[in-house]
Amino acid sequence: MKKLLQKIAKKSPWLYRINAGSCNGCDVELATTACIPRYDVERLGCKYCGSPKHADIVLITGPLTARVKEKVLRLYDEIPNPKVTVAIGVCPISGGVFRDSYAITGPIDKFIPVDVNVPGCPPRPQAIIDGIVEAIKIWETRL
Amino acid sequence: MSSFLKIAIRNLLKGPSTDPYPFGETFVPKGLRGKVKYNAKACVACRMCEHVCAGGAIQIREVADKSGLEFILWHNTCAFCGLCEHYCPTKAIRLTEDYHTAHRQEDKYRYVEKGFIKYVNCARCATPMVPIALELLNVAYDQVNEDIEKLRHLCPKCRQERAL
Repeated sequence: MKKLLQKIAKKSPWLYRINAGSCNGCDVELATTACIPRYDVERLGCKYCGSPKHADIVLITGPLTARVKEKVLRLYDEIPNPKVTVAIGVCPISGGVFRDSYAITGPIDKFIPVDVNVPGCPPRPQAIIDGIVEAIKIWETRL
Repeated sequence: MSSFLKIAIRNLLKGPSTDPYPFGETFVPKGLRGKVKYNAKACVACRMCEHVCAGGAIQIREVADKSGLEFILWHNTCAFCGLCEHYCPTKAIRLTEDYHTAHRQEDKYRYVEKGFIKYVNCARCATPMVPIALELLNVAYDQVNEDIEKLRHLCPKCRQERAL
């Protein structure tokens, strides 16, 4: 039974989106990737889910602002293991244009183990799909 | 009813509107600002790109053995705004249409565009200096004649002496 579940789970990782103080640019691109038929991320077996408890692949946007930091870390802990983390946009990766600001505590890999980076401001939907494909490869090895 | 059928049949004939990427080819809009390409041969090390860079991604610094200047652009903090390309006098920096930016965490700090400008020696006093690119001469002068070509190999000090 467990083996069967593992085999199925490989093919359908669910995505969960965390906004760590993003400007919404990357979030719009994420919504585009998932919600409009042109980019349709569900072809890869992925699906956006509303609860962190259902998530397999976490997509994080935003530079991790000081106000949202504790909430993001709490949310991240609620996601069951194994999980794959993808940083979308330059903000979570390095801080981007907000780097060295007093209001941000990132880069995010200081607090959260990141697996895949997708830089861009914002990245193209195709680049995000690239990142998700990369994340699925890691997800298959972790199961 | 008939108009509805018309739309339905048209959509059937048109096929799926989903972009086949990552299983097939995708379109690239003209002028897309992707990864940066740097041409060290055309660079005159004016550091304008370093100054205007919104994300602070560009660094130009002298290498340890003082044989030249090193150009480093870290794509992971680049906002792909294109200011460097806009302000570059010799167009040594170009934003390509390559948007494939996804990479794994272990490559995070290796995701850079690098270049190296080797110092040349002044033809008269042999002081090391940044070579003057032909592209710069083309921007500054209508025609590059022999006199200008001679000045090109001199350091700023010798150039001043010669000109006055």
